Amino acid sequence: MIKKFIHQFASPKTYLFQVNRFYPYIFYISLIIYTFSLIWGLLFTPQDFVQGNSFRIIYLHVPASFLSQSLYVAMAFASITYLVWRVKLAAYLIIAIAPVGAMTTFVALISGSLWGIPTWGTWWQWDARITSTLILFIMYLGLISLHNSFSNYEKADKLLSWLVIVGAVNIPIIKKSVDWWSTLHQSASITLTDKPSIDPSMFYPLIGSIIGFFGLIICLVLISSKHQILIREKTKSWIKDYV
Amino acid sequence: MFSFAFNSFEEAIYMNGHGIYVWIVFSIVISCLAAFFISYKNKIQKIKKKLNESN
Repeated sequence: MIKKFIHQFASPKTYLFQVNRFYPYIFYISLIIYTFSLIWGLLFTPQDFVQGNSFRIIYLHVPASFLSQSLYVAMAFASITYLVWRVKLAAYLIIAIAPVGAMTTFVALISGSLWGIPTWGTWWQWDARITSTLILFIMYLGLISLHNSFSNYEKADKLLSWLVIVGAVNIPIIKKSVDWWSTLHQSASITLTDKPSIDPSMFYPLIGSIIGFFGLIICLVLISSKHQILIREKTKSWIKDYV
Repeated sequence: MFSFAFNSFEEAIYMNGHGIYVWIVFSIVISCLAAFFISYKNKIQKIKKKLNESN
């Protein structure tokens, strides 16, 4: 029954209809949460004792950094699913996630650099966290370019899946870089195991901005995958009925 | 928790000299999100139009 359910949902046709059904709800709820949290964080939280008002970049930087790594992990899961079970929807998802992942990593790098100017006195430092994030950005761009360079989609999907799995080694390096090496970048303020080290008045809007941004990025992945399905399944009869 | 952190709108923009960094990052994030949403919507519409024409 579970296998039947997975196979039914893994069908691009079912997926596309489900995306159309749930997309507006996820989009509008996330947009409301993100807007509310950003207004709260940027204008209504007290300024930080050490960093002053520049700390407000946290509401834009942290969600982007979190998503840049999470999206790569999602790509790695999709790659395993594609290589093990030959689910073609998983292959569509890998290439649908990559540009969105590149964008979030770009935002994380730019926001971090701009935050670094008033707090560290420099916009760039070759420390472990920043360098490994730059490598992640280059990996996203490399994967997109590689996929676009193939005319045979099946070959491209297979190669891309293997490369994504190999590249996943960078994710624990990014995550643990601040603990393993002495870095300019501070260690994590929020962890799953410990109490957050930031004040609740600053913490709640941060959680809101992460949830809201996460929802919006999910929406981007959904429309990006819809775009992939329309390209890859354009010869199928159901697509003609769909459009 | 919900009291305005600044004395005036100008102060909220300036943020004691940090406003330039905060608002530039804000603009980049919103522009990137908007650009991606608009670009994918346009791409999907283009494909749909193409598929409709070929039907």
